[in-house]
Amino acid sequence: MITRRVLLGSALAIGFAFPAYAETLNVLMEGVPDTEFVKQVLPEFEAATGHKVNLEVVNYAEMHTKLVPQLVAPKGSYSVIVVDFYWVGEFTKAGWLQPLDDRIKADNVDTSVYIPALMDLVGKVDGVTYMLPFYNYAMGLTYRTDLLADPKNQEAFKAKYGMDLQPPKTWDEYLKQMEFFTRDGMHGVVNQGLRPDPIAMEWSNYLFANGAEYHDANWNPTFNNEKGVKAVQQYADAIDKYGPVGSASFSFDEAFNVMAQGKAYSYITYNFFRTAYDDPSKSSVVGKVEIMPVPGPTADTGGSLNGAWGWAIPKSSPNPDAAWEFIKWVESPEIAKKRALLGGSPTRTDVFEDPELNQKYPYAQALKSMLLTSHNFPVFTYTPQLVEVLGRELSLAVAGEKSAQDALTQIEKEFVDLAKKDGKLK
Amino acid sequence: MKRLARSIAPHLVLVVFSAIIVLPLLWVVRVSLTDKLTAYKIPPEIGSIGSMNYSAIFTSYPFTTWFFNSLIVALITTMIALPLATALAYVFARWNTGGVALRLGVLASQMLPPIILVLPLFAMFLMAGLMQSRISLIIAHLTICLPFLSWMLVSFFEGDVARLEEAARVDGATRWQAFIKIAVPVAAPGLLAAGLLGFILSWNEFLFALVLSGPDTQTLPVGLAGLETHAGVEIAPLAAATVVSLLPVFLLLPFLRKHLIKGLSLGALK
Amino acid sequence: MIESAHALTLTDRRDRRFGWLMASPSLALLFLVILFPVFWAFYTSLHDYTLISPNFDTFTGSANFIKAAEDGQFRHSLWLTTFFVVAVVLLEFLLGFLVALALNKVERFKAIYYAILLCPLLMNPVIVGLIWRMFLHPNLGIVNYLLSVVGIAPVNWLGSTKIAIWTVIMVDIWHQVSFMIVLLLAGLSALPREPYEAARVDGASPLQCFWRITVPLMRPVIIVTLLIRLIFAVKTYDLIYIMTRGGPGISTDFISYFIYRTAFVSLNIGEASAMSIILLGIILALTVYLYRYMRSLT
Repeated sequence: MITRRVLLGSALAIGFAFPAYAETLNVLMEGVPDTEFVKQVLPEFEAATGHKVNLEVVNYAEMHTKLVPQLVAPKGSYSVIVVDFYWVGEFTKAGWLQPLDDRIKADNVDTSVYIPALMDLVGKVDGVTYMLPFYNYAMGLTYRTDLLADPKNQEAFKAKYGMDLQPPKTWDEYLKQMEFFTRDGMHGVVNQGLRPDPIAMEWSNYLFANGAEYHDANWNPTFNNEKGVKAVQQYADAIDKYGPVGSASFSFDEAFNVMAQGKAYSYITYNFFRTAYDDPSKSSVVGKVEIMPVPGPTADTGGSLNGAWGWAIPKSSPNPDAAWEFIKWVESPEIAKKRALLGGSPTRTDVFEDPELNQKYPYAQALKSMLLTSHNFPVFTYTPQLVEVLGRELSLAVAGEKSAQDALTQIEKEFVDLAKKDGKLK
Repeated sequence: MKRLARSIAPHLVLVVFSAIIVLPLLWVVRVSLTDKLTAYKIPPEIGSIGSMNYSAIFTSYPFTTWFFNSLIVALITTMIALPLATALAYVFARWNTGGVALRLGVLASQMLPPIILVLPLFAMFLMAGLMQSRISLIIAHLTICLPFLSWMLVSFFEGDVARLEEAARVDGATRWQAFIKIAVPVAAPGLLAAGLLGFILSWNEFLFALVLSGPDTQTLPVGLAGLETHAGVEIAPLAAATVVSLLPVFLLLPFLRKHLIKGLSLGALK
Repeated sequence: MIESAHALTLTDRRDRRFGWLMASPSLALLFLVILFPVFWAFYTSLHDYTLISPNFDTFTGSANFIKAAEDGQFRHSLWLTTFFVVAVVLLEFLLGFLVALALNKVERFKAIYYAILLCPLLMNPVIVGLIWRMFLHPNLGIVNYLLSVVGIAPVNWLGSTKIAIWTVIMVDIWHQVSFMIVLLLAGLSALPREPYEAARVDGASPLQCFWRITVPLMRPVIIVTLLIRLIFAVKTYDLIYIMTRGGPGISTDFISYFIYRTAFVSLNIGEASAMSIILLGIILALTVYLYRYMRSLT
């Protein structure tokens, strides 16, 4: 009896109580590198808790379709899910996620270690915590360091533009480089012009880089102006003038391949592609590509779009307590660091500051500053629909079937409708 | 000369057509033997050749599970759907059972985009406690196969075969015997095509398989779609998986050789 | 119907009973599994049912239908789908019939040809889409490379609003034409031999045989084949999802993808159901027309 109490006490003391019986946790995830890293550390969790974890990996594009019926149901199959920031507004508005605040308080989980922008994106909604940020996929500018360092290029660039060729400090400087490198079969840039999310996400960087945002604090649209028009025109030019034929229909895979085959100078894309450039089975530019925050209108601002996934427990979770145990474990400092060391994309400041991580991945600080200078996409119930609208109108503008101004006016109109429908805009 | 031309012409058509089908597939085979870097090299290079993608699909991905789930679901679906659809087609053709309304009603459900049927279907299987089971997939696939197969088979039971059956009935055969011994053999080419069609419909079905399956019951389409990740398409393992999943077609060859003969003509039965 | 029921003989009545008996397993299954979802779709189309508030509290009558009919994007995608469906069904039919006729003529290698043409059919549309995207990559794809070898400039297969839909049609033909072949070949091999023998005695040419015997006898099979392929073509979704997502611009925004987005992106199941039922109405009307046409010939 006494031994039992001691055992129980010590179990509580080290932070978690063993469950009454082992449970099976079904976790639905998307096929990204970070999922692979979770898979690799999973045995530790199973050994420590006795729970069994079934990790089900599905195609990103179809994940939402698979989730919705599960979430509408009173009791679904999934204990834990990961939620893309697109879906946060929808899932919380529909009441599909369990609030985590009580559990966080009871277990003294410190959420202040997360990068605040990530907590805003995939953590808290209107003051209630529904998720813990799992990994981030903020977009950055990936560019060819070898081309920048080439003295011939440096000379020619200086002669043409009267400035040094270096990692661009401002958006205008980058646009010049885009133009400069488009010659001799090389392309200054490659774009992901496929609708809806590839183009909408990529263009958002162009919008932020021109110094505009989607909306102000009261959800009034702030993109249908000179800056917005410039962003659309620059984007269309990037595709038509400085990019390879066909980038209007590229998904990130096609665009990445152009870059990986050494046929383009730059590509604005998700940060997890940084590691892929160094994979010799995919890339011919190993060690020649670096990532940096998308430059902003001035040297001290950035234009990167933020993006992230969060861990959540659905309302329909068959075993929410065990689910919380899993989330707590996978987001513990120790495991979060382990995942980052395997190549994962961190969300916690303490992991970003870890010396071991910085030694292994020198670009970790660039990723962090990218997050700190990044901008968030509007998160509300109709985020996916806004992405659709952006995708359609931008694609029309790039195809030359609509002027930049007309496209923006249409986007603004539909944005206002959606924001009003959601009660964000009065 | 003319006769020779006449016998060569069909082969000419078939060789050209087969080439159109096969050449892209050969390129898939080539991609399956190399890595993504080489796959996208232009002009093409031989690059590194190896079987790493084939080992990858069996070690890094549960390809075997996907494959057998698909195979089991498609085979059982076909085995159930074919006799049921044959019977349905037969009574449509012979006695116009249920009239035009029933015939159209059977097919009408397939004219709705499946995405609309997903939520209620999911709810039903949830209530029945069949979620994430192969049974739910088989039932869902049956509802797709039955209408199409029965529509397809109706025309094979129409026409002169009815008169033969009547003659047999006069000779004392039962309705059932007339169906099994006369109508079914005449419709044999149709049954082969219907069986293949049923198998293919189930084998390729994606949406219901996605929503109704669980980690152990994922089918090939659902699993392979997962190779298109947020971080790019794993095109080389995907090519390897495609090649492996096509190999069983060639196991069918002896069967096809035997059954791909011309159907029994009515004369043969007389 | 009612009058004739009185005139039924005993055999007729037994025939009918036997018919229902044979049909019952299939009908029971369809009844159990399909009736509820179809009814649910009808019922939902009359309500303001969204995924955010999935309930039937607000009856809206025909509002969803009117909204759909007034939506220019919806009409655009209906029109686009019609174009696509007519193109693929006709082209696949012509090519498929030619190959089926050839296949029906040969004995040697028949099984091998057949096995080859089955291959694309056993590939999932998702895979077909991904693989063709690789082939058709404008800069790094094998197709444009081969064209460049013979001196043709790179084609912007999926990035041009004019070309993209034809690219999708082409890939769909590669993928689905065998479907037509399998069905048409089955029809051809089930044809009776007697009329041909009689025609040969009369000295008819092969072309005359084709137009006077094959085509009329094959008509029911042809119509059903076209109909089934048409229903599938209207539902083309995965290929578009993988290859173009409706773009560039709105040049390949087909109806199934449009309805999918209304349901699972705009979260408006009610409106998506209404659109589906409009679609159902159109296909059903077409089916009835084809069915009548088929009956009128026999």
